[in-house]
Amino acid sequence: MQEFITYLSRKTEEGKAETASLLADGRTDDANFAKVRTNIYDICRTVSQALVSRPGAGTGAIRAQLERFHTEWGAALEKAKQHDNTHGIAVEETKLAALDDIIAHFQEVAGA
Amino acid sequence: MTQENALKLFKCLADTSRLRIVQSLTQGEMYTELLAERLNLTPSTVSFHMKKLEEAGLAVSRKEQYYTVYSLNREVLEKTLFEAAVSEPEQADEQQKREEEYRRKVIKAFFEYGKLRSIPVQRKKKLICYEQIAAHFEIGKVYEEKEVNEIILPIHEDYCTIRRDMISEGIFRRDGSRYIRLK
Repeated sequence: MQEFITYLSRKTEEGKAETASLLADGRTDDANFAKVRTNIYDICRTVSQALVSRPGAGTGAIRAQLERFHTEWGAALEKAKQHDNTHGIAVEETKLAALDDIIAHFQEVAGA
Repeated sequence: MTQENALKLFKCLADTSRLRIVQSLTQGEMYTELLAERLNLTPSTVSFHMKKLEEAGLAVSRKEQYYTVYSLNREVLEKTLFEAAVSEPEQADEQQKREEEYRRKVIKAFFEYGKLRSIPVQRKKKLICYEQIAAHFEIGKVYEEKEVNEIILPIHEDYCTIRRDMISEGIFRRDGSRYIRLK
């Protein structure tokens, strides 16, 4: 699991750099979306680190947590769509895209 | 053009992505997915930027089958910088504007898709939230307690506290088990 956590740390750092670069480029709103994306990698890293160090927990617990995030954010996206909340849709889709990337990498590392 | 609109326009254009969208649209109408591909943005991000451009009056949209097609509002774009710079502020009372802005912020903070997240502790904020809930009731119409509960419950589970508070704040008048919205 160390490789997975290292990957999440790398993506978090890359996200921070991308946010700074977008801000410098005068793309404030895109920078905010990059920040949202970065936060997802950071949240997953923090949660995974905590679960790995917990006795009895491990890949199964991480998988379950990632699935929980997916269900919750999927529901938030549906809600935003129902209310035609353009900003909410963009935020939730950004979160889910980052999470899909994380889940795909997790499956590679831990096995499907 | 009012000063408020001019400010909205300048703020909207002070973003590289939106300027690039405007630049693309000068070549003709485009739909979300095409703009996303050209600008290397996700469709939802393009929709977000387009909403801001529409709010500033710089773009207009129309539905075409499954697509939303955007085009520029040339009338606004062709206005001169001078015209925008000399725009006059709206006549609305400044104090009233500040209050409306505060009210908008409180509602945004405490409501999500029509549901009250929590009952504010601060009275001023609480009153704003209750006024928002009161909008679900007609002024002067008589409601049975059961009806009042049924209207408040989908907004917040603690309908008893809200109903009682709305009476003590003078939003409702209670007459036995009947309620009348006063303001």
